[in-house]
Amino acid sequence: MEEIDEYIRKAKTLPPAPKILPQLMPLLKQTDVDSAKVVELISFDAGLTAKILTVCNSASQAGGQPVSNLHEALLRTGFAEVFRIVAKVVGEQTLGSAQTGYGLGKNELWEHSAVVAVAARIVATDRGLDPNVAFTAGLLHDVGKLVLTEALEGSYERLVEETEKNQQALVEAEKTVLGVDHAEVGGRLLSQWAFPKPLVDAVSWHHDPIKSTENAPLAACIYLANMIAAFTGHSFGHQAFAIRGRGEALQILGLQGDELPMYMIKTVDEFAKVSLLAAAA
Amino acid sequence: MPAPSLAALTGFDQKLIVGVADMAVSNNPSVVLATYSLGSCLGITIYDPVTKVGGLLHAMLPDSSIDPAKAATQAAMFVDTGIPALFRAAYQLKADKHRVQICVLGGAQVMDASGFFSIGKRNLETLKRLLSQHGLSIRAEQTGGMVSRTVTLSVRTGEVKLKVSGVKEETIIWKK
Repeated sequence: MEEIDEYIRKAKTLPPAPKILPQLMPLLKQTDVDSAKVVELISFDAGLTAKILTVCNSASQAGGQPVSNLHEALLRTGFAEVFRIVAKVVGEQTLGSAQTGYGLGKNELWEHSAVVAVAARIVATDRGLDPNVAFTAGLLHDVGKLVLTEALEGSYERLVEETEKNQQALVEAEKTVLGVDHAEVGGRLLSQWAFPKPLVDAVSWHHDPIKSTENAPLAACIYLANMIAAFTGHSFGHQAFAIRGRGEALQILGLQGDELPMYMIKTVDEFAKVSLLAAAA
Repeated sequence: MPAPSLAALTGFDQKLIVGVADMAVSNNPSVVLATYSLGSCLGITIYDPVTKVGGLLHAMLPDSSIDPAKAATQAAMFVDTGIPALFRAAYQLKADKHRVQICVLGGAQVMDASGFFSIGKRNLETLKRLLSQHGLSIRAEQTGGMVSRTVTLSVRTGEVKLKVSGVKEETIIWKK
């Protein structure tokens, strides 16, 4: 744990904590959401508020009058949808920059994360897990890479050697080269940022879900969503496919494995819609 | 008279991006067909050097039988429906089946002992079976491994270039 904290402390640039997400997440569980509370939390951020209204309006062009404030946006699209828009805006701010230590160009980590979020929601909905927690965990699953990218600068050859010659997954190669990996660092960061435990666990174990004692299904959901992103052409950077296939992740979710292609097709279709939304905003 | 294209005016080639589960053919010499981030997906280029027709398919899954309705609207999603669709589109532009030069890229494979995640491998197997059924052979191939690839095909020259994600340099994998 100390080594992980040391990396977090040493990182030159950390994204600002997406404080709003852990504050909004508990409200998702309520059947009757107090919209005054939501508006209070969101309206602190004028840029965020403006983006929500733009996205709501571009999504509901066919639906008559444009929305002009957050109250209307909540009424029109519902809190779950507003939450997803907030998560996307915050996610883009957090993950949009290039992560050269991983060979990731501008927006590549963000695109990957957005697809994992969409895929995680699809899998979660199908397997009876909380789709909102899955979506948010998917969005933030690689946040640890922001901490480790600098330490990995110039280690490309060693990473390739560990993955190709020694048959290590990228996450295992990180551990060999740095002593820590992006999954545990990400989990730690999210825990410091006060995200709920299931989400922290899912991020910490998204490469090895069976090791999560309390939240293995959610971790397996993020594991599978990460695979789906790779198989649908949304994984980038050095040795993007140095991921270990874990059949037990399917078992944890009660899947046979032949569901995977359908999840992939659904993810491609769903992401096309989401991207159109983003382009309109 | 049609307006001159941007490419004709500037002298630059125009890049036509082929997305995942999509395809394109062209006989416009200023077009460069490109597809990004081929992981386990397959990028298949075809080029007829006589009629100078190029085509590029980005297929995601091997077998359309899991979703025939999808295959009917988006044939390029699957290898088994995408390949015939790609060739048919190229024939429209006077490409000849036995003249076309075929290159294959992608089909990356995760480290999978379980066999549940071997999509890249299955994509390749399906493609090779299909091509051999039609007596077609592959001119150049860069497949498997654990990397994500970007491929371009110049309609002017038939040159196929590959870029590996995270690596700066491009390499030429086919040139007549």
